[in-house]
Amino acid sequence: MRNELRDAAIVEVRSRIVDACLKQARLPEGMPLDVLINDTLYHEKQRLERDRQSPTRDEDLAFWEGVRSRLGKAGESEQKEILVRVVERFTEEVRGNFTPWVYDMATRFIPRALPALLNAVSPKRLFSRGLPNIAETIAIDGDVDALRRANERGTVILAPTHASNMDSPVIGWALFAMGLPPFTYGAGLNLFTNPVMSFFMRNLGAYRVDRRKTAPLYKDILKEYAAVSLELGQPNLFFPGGTRSRNGQIEEHLKLGLLSCGLRAYVNNLQKRKERPNIYVVTCSINYQLVLEAESLVGDYLRSEGKSRYIMTDDESSKPRKMLQFVQNLINLESRITVKVGDVFDPFGNHVDEAGLSVDSHGRHIDIRKYVTDGEGRPFHMPQRDRVFTRECGDSVAESFKRHNQVLSTNVVAFTAFELLKKRHPELDLYRMLRTGDEGTGLEMRKLTDATAVVVKALQDLARDGEISLDGKSIGNGDAATIVQSALRHFGTYHAHPVLARRGDRAFTEDAQLLYYYSNRLRGYGLERTLRASYGEAA
Amino acid sequence: MAATQKRATVIGGGSWGTALAHLMATAGIDVRLWMRSEERVAEINEQHTNTRYLKDKPIHEGVVATSDLALAAKHAGTLVVAIPSRAFREVAFELGEHVTGDQILLSATKGFEAEHLTRMSQVLREETCVRKVGAISGPNLADEVMAGQPSATVVASPFDEVIAAGAEVLANPTLRVYGNHDVVGVEIFGALKNIIAIAAGACAGLGLGANSLSMLLTRALAEISRFSEALGADRMTALGLAGIGDLIATCSSPLSRNNTLGRRLAAGLSLDEALAEMVKVAEGVNTTYAVCMHAERLGVDMPIARGVHRVLFGGEKVETVIGSLMSRANRFEHSERPIDAPERITGSVIETALAVTAGGRDAGA
Repeated sequence: MRNELRDAAIVEVRSRIVDACLKQARLPEGMPLDVLINDTLYHEKQRLERDRQSPTRDEDLAFWEGVRSRLGKAGESEQKEILVRVVERFTEEVRGNFTPWVYDMATRFIPRALPALLNAVSPKRLFSRGLPNIAETIAIDGDVDALRRANERGTVILAPTHASNMDSPVIGWALFAMGLPPFTYGAGLNLFTNPVMSFFMRNLGAYRVDRRKTAPLYKDILKEYAAVSLELGQPNLFFPGGTRSRNGQIEEHLKLGLLSCGLRAYVNNLQKRKERPNIYVVTCSINYQLVLEAESLVGDYLRSEGKSRYIMTDDESSKPRKMLQFVQNLINLESRITVKVGDVFDPFGNHVDEAGLSVDSHGRHIDIRKYVTDGEGRPFHMPQRDRVFTRECGDSVAESFKRHNQVLSTNVVAFTAFELLKKRHPELDLYRMLRTGDEGTGLEMRKLTDATAVVVKALQDLARDGEISLDGKSIGNGDAATIVQSALRHFGTYHAHPVLARRGDRAFTEDAQLLYYYSNRLRGYGLERTLRASYGEAA
Repeated sequence: MAATQKRATVIGGGSWGTALAHLMATAGIDVRLWMRSEERVAEINEQHTNTRYLKDKPIHEGVVATSDLALAAKHAGTLVVAIPSRAFREVAFELGEHVTGDQILLSATKGFEAEHLTRMSQVLREETCVRKVGAISGPNLADEVMAGQPSATVVASPFDEVIAAGAEVLANPTLRVYGNHDVVGVEIFGALKNIIAIAAGACAGLGLGANSLSMLLTRALAEISRFSEALGADRMTALGLAGIGDLIATCSSPLSRNNTLGRRLAAGLSLDEALAEMVKVAEGVNTTYAVCMHAERLGVDMPIARGVHRVLFGGEKVETVIGSLMSRANRFEHSERPIDAPERITGSVIETALAVTAGGRDAGA
């Protein structure tokens, strides 16, 4: 977001938040100002207690100590002054420290920087293959025109699936390649501390989000910042899944907080009689043949889901090793990344047609203003109503994610192999199975290929009905042997242990957790049943 | 004339639709009642009766019937749809041509579409642009409501706005309105209780008493709860008016259609014979068929529904089915584990082995 625009947004957010605080404090059910400030103070103190590494810890402690000592004897007008200071502090953090020249340079630099980072970290590779072509690494697919049109007709919220920290730079490049401006994006503070990531974050026009801050007032500020930027016509990027998918599955349960900003901005636009009031939610899937941080993601998932059942056999990788892995991955990322533009929805979750108008399931136009107007046609906010609308919009988004999930060879083969292992051990629960793996005996290649053929056939049927999408390059004509080969090649190159490795006429599971992780991308399509039915036929 | 007289439209002139329109008119609401048959429109507007469904019961003169769907749709902000489930989608689609997003649609039909278990409020959402939809359900026998006996109903919707609008047109001195956000549970109970009503009618037909009826209702509540929870409903709904409330009313009153059907089946009539004598639709028949199919898919055990299925479609005698239900293994009330089956032990080989020894099952092994 351009600096003038961002400053305008910050000013607007401040005044809205302060006004809202004062207004609610006057209501009988509202929080008096001193209680509100105290509550925020409490949350911040708690955070600072936990978060001892924060670079701004001392500053923060001093600030909040100041708030505490002033608040005790503050009268009404001084409470208001303290509130303003608190809001200013939070908004200042959100804004971050951007400089125009970085922004300008970035738009010119990204297309060259990203392929260099993705492909050419290894000088050897650079010499042997020359400058890499990014278009071969990141494929853009789907209805790109629909996204462009939506961006012209109104303000877009781009809602991608979230699997990796690579998502933001990948989307950043994809937007550039599609000829779209950088989108505003709330990035976790941790991404700003990693120097490589930080570079991309800034170039994306990111604002800073500190996930450790739990104060409701802070969360209100973040949401209002997103809403205001949308109202200013600035397209936004939200990851509705909230965090990266831990188990590799496409997100089903979405975080609706940010999505609700779309509806709020729309109603505000109507109230201000904006010329282009429409907000469009455009879904998109980001699909990786190999995921940068798959190991730690699935490890984290199993730890939190399994509680005591999951036993860590390895320490979390130390920092240098992590960096090494990261670099390793960049080198190997010759593997496919696809970005598929999905559907365009209005903030209520209705489909939007080519003309930018919302349509019902029979293609009939809907006057969506009527969802939020009173008897006299005046638009108004109503939190309970808007929550339901947002939830329904979230349902549309989740369903769209599922349909535009672009299947790559690694997903198909991991899924098939994992199901074959499950069939071998029907009595084991997930955690035992992950520890047992294939017991070192491996899977017969022929069986794996045959079963893969069954899954691919089922996927092709699903894809024909528009229920899933297949990557043309890595799934190709659907020949199972080629797909298995492609997957094994990728599985062998990046991860510490090859997920699945071929020795002789057998494929061995070397990392059952990763196999599980990659297989999960195909859960929820009923493929398990098809595969089980095929066992019956074979027997 | 009051400047802001409340308005409502009822779509569907069957017994429940007519009763609702009558109720609203009694409360001073300017109500339109839509139905396809010109003949019955004329009857309601001129004679103020609906003899096909409500015999000679007088209908409030404020009820204005019409066969013009566009007119009916534009009349009010709140529309109540009371169309039998089989014709529901067709009418909803037609309605979709005339309604706008600020309107509120409430389904008063109990039942769902067999193939995908689509609930009526879902059909309204799928076929129209209206998003503020909900469902009306509860112990509301049309004839008793017409007679002005005190009763209560549930308006379910995720939107508070819809619940408020429903209460505005429905609440009156003889009808209390309760709100519920669990549309899934309310609609599932509304549909599935029809199965139990057939069973209850059959019990009554055999002259069975209060113990049997009570057993039926309680165990039915358990199995419907399992089913609706599998579909995402809230367990508490089972204990409300749309759950146990509706079950008691439908099953203890001989006025209900499904109950009548059950009694005829108990008397030895086949399904076709039993249905032939009835004017009104017994929704329970379709429901039984669909529920048994989906229960299997969802992995939910529904012995009572299966029993009704065997009578309706398998031609089995009611007595035979009751006999086989009674001879099922005795179970724990909530966990469904058979009493004579050992508790499943996980995590300790010693305990697993000991449990088997205690059961005396290791002799041969």
